[in-house]
Amino acid sequence: MHSIRPVIAGNGLAILLTIVFLLPTTAVFAFVASAPIDDLFAEIGVWFHQNYQWKLDEFDTIERFTKIGFALRAIIISVGISFLYFWISNWLNHGLARIRSKGSIGKQSLVIESIQPWIFVGPALTLLILFLLIPAFATLSLSFQEADGTPTVRNYAFLWDPSALGYVQFRLAMRNSLMWLILVPTCCITLGLLIAVLADSVRWGIIAKTIIFVPLAISFVGAAIIWRNIFAGGGIEAQQTINGLTPSYQIGLLKSILGHPPSYNEPLYNLKFWGNFFLMWILVWVQTGFAMVIFSAALRGVPQDTIEAATIDGASPYQMFFRIKLPQIYSTVVVVWTTLIVLVLKMFDIPYALSANDDDKLLLATMMENARNNWSIGGDNVDNLFASIAIMLMLTVIPNMAFNAWRIRREQKEIGH
Amino acid sequence: MMISRSLRHVVLALIVFIWIVPFVALITTSLRSEVASKTAGFWTAFTPTELGHSFRTHEKGQMNDTKVISGNIFERLNKDTSNFPVSGTVNSILFKGRIPDPNDPTKTVLIRKLVPAGEIMDVRGGDFVFETNGNFTWTFPELSTPKPKKLDAFIKQNPVFGDDAYIEVLFENKNVPNALISSFIVTIPATIIPITIAAFAAYAFAWMSFPGRDWLFVIVVSLMVVPTQLAFLPILQGFSGIASWATQLKQWLTDCELTNSCEVASKSFASLWITHTAFAMPLAIYLLRNYIVNLPKELLQSARIDGANHLQIFTKIIVPLSVPALASFSIFQFLWVWNDLIVALYIGPNNATDKVFPIRLQNQLGTFKDQLHLLNASAVISMIIPVIVFLSMQRYFIRGLLAGSVKGG
Repeated sequence: MHSIRPVIAGNGLAILLTIVFLLPTTAVFAFVASAPIDDLFAEIGVWFHQNYQWKLDEFDTIERFTKIGFALRAIIISVGISFLYFWISNWLNHGLARIRSKGSIGKQSLVIESIQPWIFVGPALTLLILFLLIPAFATLSLSFQEADGTPTVRNYAFLWDPSALGYVQFRLAMRNSLMWLILVPTCCITLGLLIAVLADSVRWGIIAKTIIFVPLAISFVGAAIIWRNIFAGGGIEAQQTINGLTPSYQIGLLKSILGHPPSYNEPLYNLKFWGNFFLMWILVWVQTGFAMVIFSAALRGVPQDTIEAATIDGASPYQMFFRIKLPQIYSTVVVVWTTLIVLVLKMFDIPYALSANDDDKLLLATMMENARNNWSIGGDNVDNLFASIAIMLMLTVIPNMAFNAWRIRREQKEIGH
Repeated sequence: MMISRSLRHVVLALIVFIWIVPFVALITTSLRSEVASKTAGFWTAFTPTELGHSFRTHEKGQMNDTKVISGNIFERLNKDTSNFPVSGTVNSILFKGRIPDPNDPTKTVLIRKLVPAGEIMDVRGGDFVFETNGNFTWTFPELSTPKPKKLDAFIKQNPVFGDDAYIEVLFENKNVPNALISSFIVTIPATIIPITIAAFAAYAFAWMSFPGRDWLFVIVVSLMVVPTQLAFLPILQGFSGIASWATQLKQWLTDCELTNSCEVASKSFASLWITHTAFAMPLAIYLLRNYIVNLPKELLQSARIDGANHLQIFTKIIVPLSVPALASFSIFQFLWVWNDLIVALYIGPNNATDKVFPIRLQNQLGTFKDQLHLLNASAVISMIIPVIVFLSMQRYFIRGLLAGSVKGG
């Protein structure tokens, strides 16, 4: 073993250097070499434009088809490069081992075997280190610096100094986060359990479940647009009614149900304080399907004999659920809860889409974005302020992270791998 | 027990109803005309609803030296916008004009009032009468050449739907097709690359032995909950460093200065692919490793004895057997990347043609504020692909969800 260490190190380094040099060069070369494909697509576009009645003018057609050409070669090249990596490094590993440890087959395979795992986990670990670990620590150090690099705690002043930038916003963001944290997971889990139980007891349950499930496939911005039709206020024409003579209507269904006159066109999600609850509801609407599916599976996994025993003892449906089934899926509830908590803490899209700059609706993630755009008062310090809020966001997630790591570790031990 | 059973149906039906209504709102609004969509709520689209319309009595220069002008309000309204034809009953017309002041006969007052069908009103000295079916006559005491008059009619309008909004956003507006293509450019590699990389890593974590394997795996998986926001700024700085370096290299290698095209953008599709790939690693490795580790170990051993190397074992044995796990993760990743707003906002391209769909939708919440039919049509288009993928591969998605959060095995 001792004598082959230098061989392993040498081969590893050779593979690493080849890959680091070869892959980016190949990628750039492939992009440059395949550029004529864009022109080819542009010509196809022009041909279509001339032979069919396009609504697009010729310039836009060329632009569109060039973009499609670019899309195709970008997809093929990027995917190809990632396959190429594994193929080349595997080939190099075998080839180098054969060259450098001639004769001894056992030595050869030992060299190959010690390098191969790192070829396989290498890209994943590199990406994680470069794009998660190092940036996380860089953000931490950035948050304790002025823009010019001198150490400071000024970026955290919003924690204690009422005159600091972001003092008010941070408090509002924390208040809102707390409300979101309590309400959204609670609602999702309650509704999810309710639907899981109800759907399993009626014949059309599968249809109901599919419908509840679909919002999971939709982007949060899409969900915001969907619910805008319900929460937003009166339309343009409705406001311009002539002397009250003409009929006018609300645009938002819920506002109409609440009896708001069309002239009152403040969207419900813009209401001071109460608007938060409408934003939360959108997330509940999206995520209930997730809770439902998992609870539905967990409930089906409850051992049949416990249910039969309870039936023989004459348990009512309520007792059956709260005394027999719920305790047995308790760990699943906890898992769903932690998943939803992380989701809520990182929530950005919904408040950003519907009430981007409203302090009253801030969450930590939207506060970060606002710090970047709106509070450029401290000179070039915005990035550092951004970093310090990111750290606050991280701190709120840490208890969850610790819990998750503990859970996974315990599971690994239970399975015995 | 019977009451409880029907109560179950009612409660479930109520919940499903609440879940469906927003979808109905979305699709209905996208199928209405611009005026209808911004004038009255989507639920009025299904029943006759009174809406205001403006029409001209006739075209300029159409009528010469005539005593009677007659026509039909609906014909006048529908001559241009044939895709959303107005039909129904005319309830009233808004009369705006001067009548003698009842208090002071020497003066006139400006009044506005709704004139019902059959009642004569004075328009430019002629008698204007209309019927509920839209026919109108405008009679003058002597031969004249009246200028066209624009009148506001209030019509109890029959429901009408059309696909105009879709045609407009797909073929006349450049942003939506561009966003669609951009989303594909981002999503396809950002789904395939992480699966490839994670599957190899998962195989190594499951079936190869190397120092520190178990601890590395725990660290990788616990990174799952690190908020990605924490990484944005340094990643961005890293990419702009690479971009300025690439710009210099391009300057040195090519004659780009002549065409002023040396600038290499730091926020690009490539930076999005790599970032999405990195962010997907923890979950992907976790899911795939837990699947691969449970495959029968004898397969691996017999393949090793037959002299297959790890790459061959991976491609010939592991990949075919792991299709369900690969499928469930790829749906996750596809949906996640397709629907992602925040990573694209910070790391992705920010020029108008390359914006991905969620960012475009976010912008359209502002630009289409008064064109709700377009906003909703655009949202529908953005949802079609993920919903189809989702519904057709629901089974794999659920399996992935369960593997990811119910248990570790």
